[in-house]
Amino acid sequence: MKHVGTIASRELRSLFVSPVAYVVLTLFAVLAGFFFLSSVLQFNEYVVRLQQFQLFDQLKELNLNDHVIAPFFGVMSVVLLFLIPGITMGLFAAEKANGTDELLLTSPLTIWEIVLGKFFAAAAFVTILVALVGLFPGLLFLYGDPEVPKTVAGLGGLLLVGLSYVAIGGFASSLTRNQVIAFVLAFVLLLLLWMLSFLADLGAAGGAMGSGNWLSALLRWLSTSDHFENLVKGLVDTADLTYFAVLIGTFLLLTKAAVESVRWR
Amino acid sequence: MIAARHLSKRYGDLVAVNDVSFELAKGEVVGFLGPNGAGKTTTMRILTGFLPPTDGQAVIDGHDMFEEPLAARRSVGYLPESPPLYPEMDVQGYLTFVAKLKDVPRARRRDAVDRALVRCGLTDVRRRVIGALSKGYRQRVGLAQAIVHSPPVLILDEPTVGLDPTQIREIRALIADLAAPKAGETQHTVILSTHILPEVEAICRRVMLIHRGRKVLDAPLAELTGGGRSLEQVFAQHTARDVAVEVSA
Repeated sequence: MKHVGTIASRELRSLFVSPVAYVVLTLFAVLAGFFFLSSVLQFNEYVVRLQQFQLFDQLKELNLNDHVIAPFFGVMSVVLLFLIPGITMGLFAAEKANGTDELLLTSPLTIWEIVLGKFFAAAAFVTILVALVGLFPGLLFLYGDPEVPKTVAGLGGLLLVGLSYVAIGGFASSLTRNQVIAFVLAFVLLLLLWMLSFLADLGAAGGAMGSGNWLSALLRWLSTSDHFENLVKGLVDTADLTYFAVLIGTFLLLTKAAVESVRWR
Repeated sequence: MIAARHLSKRYGDLVAVNDVSFELAKGEVVGFLGPNGAGKTTTMRILTGFLPPTDGQAVIDGHDMFEEPLAARRSVGYLPESPPLYPEMDVQGYLTFVAKLKDVPRARRRDAVDRALVRCGLTDVRRRVIGALSKGYRQRVGLAQAIVHSPPVLILDEPTVGLDPTQIREIRALIADLAAPKAGETQHTVILSTHILPEVEAICRRVMLIHRGRKVLDAPLAELTGGGRSLEQVFAQHTARDVAVEVSA
């Protein structure tokens, strides 16, 4: 496993000499700023309205975590869904297009070292993105008093969502030598995963099958949204953590098989 | 040093390599000839561990490619048909990366990279970005990555393809130099694939001819060109006869 670092550091360096990393970072920072501002403004308006109508009971229940940070994290998880395929599209596809896969596969290293090295490189980049998101709630601590554990749990949830997206995007990249195809494939896979919870809602609402139906429960479990929302609510449950571990592990395994498959042909 | 035993590679019905066997002793330099699509690249990919053979066994420096893949791959330097370069890296950074991949110990890594740079005439461009180099220089970087870990076995797949005459001469001189090292340098066993015959005459002492996946000829160069025949005539005779046999059959 000593080559994991070698692969990861080369990958990260490549990412930062290509324009992709900067485009993604800039877009992400702009979007994060925009969505943070809009959720703060919305919160503000809500507070003013509740005061005007003298609804003090509801006013007491308002807090920064549930009404600013949670929606902000939620939106940012969707932004990650759009941007992470841009980061992962080159992971394996570019090696094949360059012919450098021939160098890697004839060097004394295992396929796991390649797959993990690449995963960690993209994971490091996503950690930077999530840290960027963390700056904004940080501002709230200057002017208000959100709960630290809840905020940290939410940020952790966002990171886990990001890492899952990286594993899935990497898998998409390992299937093709064309980066555009890798991007589109990753995007579609992530979108499907995200929409599973909507499907589950439809199934639950679909009368005949009833809300207790196992299919909709399964879809709900498979979708990232519920697990992520639990963490944002501050509920750190091993069931949710296991979900992310299984999701990431499964796609790393699939990626390993896809990389190895050149040898089966 | 290299032993190929009954290597075969089939893709469905297509037989790319058909029962090819040979042994190479330490220090031998063999020209691996054949028309395009004869199975040269596939054979080399099997020897480097990129592809597993459908049948047969490849042994590099005493290590079976299937049973001890890591040890066997450590003993091979490989220049594929298109050099495996990262265009965004600089030459020295790239060679250092390859040296790490090939398990050159940290203490000797800098030396190994310097030696490869000097041997391939790359010292002046060591800080240049690979993507900005000319094709001839990129080919040299490709050779440098193949020799950076001083492997006992070198496998070069058409190293001069697409170069201009001056560059071809330079690369050839470089390969000849690798095959006949000065004191203290690694003695490489070299397989050089090409379909350019003068290249073989200039560098190799032994010739293997592969045609339609089969080895049709394996002899010392001197023996083949002994009777006043050119290598070109030998090549034409062997690749043509096969076609004639097939037509009559």
